[in-house]
Amino acid sequence: MAQREKLLEIKNLKQYFNEGKPNEVKAVDNVSFDIYKGEVMGLVGESGCGKSTTGRTIIRLYDATGGEVLYDGVNVHGKKSKKQLKDFNRKMQMIFQDPYASLNPRLKIADVIAEGIDIHGLAKSKEERMERVYELLETVGLNREHANRYPHEFSGGQRQRIGIARALAVQPEFIIADEPISALDVSIQAQVVNLMKKLQKDKGLTYLFIAHDLSMVKYISDRIGVMYFGKMVELTTAEELYKNPLHPYTQSLLSAIPAPDPISERTRKRKSYDPASHHYDDNEVIEFREITPGHFVLCSEKEFNQYKAQSKQ
Amino acid sequence: MDKILQVKDLNISFHTFSGEVKAIRGVNFDLYNGETLAIVGESGSGKSVTTKAIMRLLPEHNSEIKSGEILFDGKDLTKLTDKQMQKIRGHDISMIFQDPMTSLNPTMKIGNQIMEPLIKHQNMSKHSAKERAIELLKLVGIPKPEIRINQYPHQFSGGMRQRVVIAIALACNPKILIADEPTTALDVTIQAQILELMKDLQKKIDTSIIFITHDLGVVANVADRVAVMYGGKIVEIGTADEIFYNPQHPYTWGLISSMPDMDTEDEELYSIPGTPPDLLDPPKGDAFAPRNPYAMKIDLEQEPPFFKVSDTHYAATWLLHPDAPKVEPPEAVKRRQSQYVGTVGVASGAAKLEKSQSPGIKEGK
Amino acid sequence: MSNKEITISKDMFAPAHIDPSKSEKISKTSLNFWQDSWLRVRKNKGAVVSLVILVIMIIMAFVGPLITPYAYDDQNTKHNNLPPRIQGLENVDWLPFDGTLTRRNGDVYNAYEVKKAEDSYYWFGTDNLGRDQFARVWKGTQVSLFIAFMAALIDMLIGVAYGAISGFIGGRTDGIMQRIIEVIVGIPNLIVVVLLMLVLKPGIIPIIIALTITGWTSMARVVRAQVLKFKGQEFVLAAKTLGAPNSSIIFKHMIPNMFGVIIINTMFSIPNAIFFEAFLSFIGLGLQEPHASLGTLVNSGFKSMIAFPYQMIIPSIMIALIMVCFNLVADGLRDALDPKMRD
Repeated sequence: MAQREKLLEIKNLKQYFNEGKPNEVKAVDNVSFDIYKGEVMGLVGESGCGKSTTGRTIIRLYDATGGEVLYDGVNVHGKKSKKQLKDFNRKMQMIFQDPYASLNPRLKIADVIAEGIDIHGLAKSKEERMERVYELLETVGLNREHANRYPHEFSGGQRQRIGIARALAVQPEFIIADEPISALDVSIQAQVVNLMKKLQKDKGLTYLFIAHDLSMVKYISDRIGVMYFGKMVELTTAEELYKNPLHPYTQSLLSAIPAPDPISERTRKRKSYDPASHHYDDNEVIEFREITPGHFVLCSEKEFNQYKAQSKQ
Repeated sequence: MDKILQVKDLNISFHTFSGEVKAIRGVNFDLYNGETLAIVGESGSGKSVTTKAIMRLLPEHNSEIKSGEILFDGKDLTKLTDKQMQKIRGHDISMIFQDPMTSLNPTMKIGNQIMEPLIKHQNMSKHSAKERAIELLKLVGIPKPEIRINQYPHQFSGGMRQRVVIAIALACNPKILIADEPTTALDVTIQAQILELMKDLQKKIDTSIIFITHDLGVVANVADRVAVMYGGKIVEIGTADEIFYNPQHPYTWGLISSMPDMDTEDEELYSIPGTPPDLLDPPKGDAFAPRNPYAMKIDLEQEPPFFKVSDTHYAATWLLHPDAPKVEPPEAVKRRQSQYVGTVGVASGAAKLEKSQSPGIKEGK
Repeated sequence: MSNKEITISKDMFAPAHIDPSKSEKISKTSLNFWQDSWLRVRKNKGAVVSLVILVIMIIMAFVGPLITPYAYDDQNTKHNNLPPRIQGLENVDWLPFDGTLTRRNGDVYNAYEVKKAEDSYYWFGTDNLGRDQFARVWKGTQVSLFIAFMAALIDMLIGVAYGAISGFIGGRTDGIMQRIIEVIVGIPNLIVVVLLMLVLKPGIIPIIIALTITGWTSMARVVRAQVLKFKGQEFVLAAKTLGAPNSSIIFKHMIPNMFGVIIINTMFSIPNAIFFEAFLSFIGLGLQEPHASLGTLVNSGFKSMIAFPYQMIIPSIMIALIMVCFNLVADGLRDALDPKMRD
């Protein structure tokens, strides 16, 4: 594997809500992984696993309780000047899940898309601003005349594309997509995913793709991390995850996905996952360990040896 | 197999601020005893409106059943009064909805919610209703039912709530269960559990299920037959095998090719361009034509009738007309058709091209 | 669905040319928030009628004192306590505009003849100092409406600012600000107002201050609730990730989405203010002579309620009409601006 450049290093990231109080929630509990330049990193898990919180903490919508997020070597968190924060806003952008809540209903589309341009002063005149807006609309497959309309006149898929245009307006390097297709119809999902893939090639973007639809995540991602209750339990390439899932939660997740294939559905056996089945002793160290190059699993020493032996076969 | 429900030429419109929206434009299908019929479609296709019409749950002030019949148990449901429908709802035909959070009354104990249909429809005493409720909770897999029966909905998780909703729906052993996207709001593992539960209960209670969803994976898991809806009409109907391995309508091709599966390589995922039609002003001809890469001139002029592909498989597309050119379906569909040849022995793509007598009316079994 | 058997010719099966740009076309006309809301309000007959009545009243409040020959503070003690008399309508028996009064023993007499004022016409009659009620009522309406609008406006400004800041900052600050509101709400309104009026000399400005000092709290609470709701909404998060400063988030994103709620709350507070002002004047803490507000008119009319009922009835009807109309309009607006009722 060629030595690739790291764009983001997430180290021991913690996001605890209500820390110290009886209703403390460890939404993100000591998660570490890297994202390489130009790749699509997928993050999957079921509701409550902390994947959205991880994304929002990376982009500093929430302040991390602990750990670091290094973007190009610079920590995103901690005390930062306004200018430094604005710099990060240009480099990292986000696409949200709900197409009906992610656009301000009272702004015209032109203003929605141009907000980033206005904040960072990227256009020197009104004409230049509108030209950029038209360019962006066409990039995402919409018409120029849509710039004068309001969000409620568009369908879910079109709104999501407007959201993508808005994120692209500041020319970011890294985009976090927080469940961008979950609220869309099946055929529209493919439209949006294809658009994202095309944009990645054309503009050299890096993505963190957060979703719970594993088939779509496998299609678009290079590598995938699986989260369960705030911890990352497995991380490897998309191919490897599907061919050789090691962590029992990953296996149970994969076995639960229905495939659009009646013949295989009739014979599919579902595996259920019980966290107690690990039978961890109190003094066992549960860590994120590398089983084969690039394939990480959260396990104890005992399990580590088991998995290593399995992988040799 | 007997038919338990017959929907004939249903036309439903909504009167809105901007005009009349023709939400359902001539829908025909039958439901057979003991089967699961899946209705697939995207937002705006009319799948929810169709089933709400069966239950007569459409808002009275702006919806109108313009024509058509819904025949159940010798009666036409479109002509019944609300009082007569009340006897049928929850007793002969039950419905479960998508969001388990809002399907249950947050201020009523679970037990009372399950007992309600039992007391109202079957005139059970409170005591026997309670026993039956505990039985039902056991049936849907809720542990410690005697304790849970006195709890409130907020004390249950999403998956558990959906099980309770199923228990309420099946309380009176209805002949038909309509499930409107019951697992869309649930996690994958919970969804798998609920689907298993529904299939299990269907066998035990011998009820027919109409299952609405947009997830083709779920359809493959539960359905015996599948109806694909687009723009307020059914565009293709057939058994699950026929729809998944030998689809004939370009929209079905589009749906199947836009879902990646384990074998989808890095090639671009086929996506249907554009957006569903505005039913305020339905397009002339085939509603799918503007987004159909296989569209022909006739698609813009006349709506296609149903063409028979087999006794159980019908598709409304001019591509099946004897004069239509042969087209290559997308890669993903071709792969499936070769699978079909292997299992059923029908030549891929070849359909028995007999136009049915009247457009839109399916030839009965 | 056409059932005609048109002969289908072979060339109909040639591929059709589909224009890809057409597939994204939106056919409906674009309506902004205000146009959309107006269409909805129009549907509510009650609100529209009330709006028309209010507009007429507001116009009359300015025009009224001008179209009568008498000024509102002109005294003519010889012509005091005359009942309403309108040219043209005076001969219609069942209308009260014929200038007659009924004595306690049932005798009906023409007060204008008795006071030797046959040539004068006072459309709403006169009070005990001979001042023209028509001019005074409309002047009073002017003053009452002015006080009510000013009070509502100031309440809105203070309430929106307070609620927005409290909700946006959150945490401890929010807690403290809300406790302050609770203290203010806990003190009986009337006591605060009365004490203020005793300290400040009676007049229009002091009344406005008294009304606004406690009136902003409901707006503040409502705005805070909305801000809390918007804080977690994705379009606000998106603005944050784009780098928008806090002021931009509040004024460009949150407040425009709250216009509906703000307008409705303000509309409902106007009849409140009208009533409160009338009440203050009625108990003697309002405006002083010769200034007129609807409340002072009711107060002075009250004193001769039995002998000359019209002096109290006419301003009372005005107060009631204004309050009912504002309430109906506010109700209609609430239905129109409620996003959940969108088609």
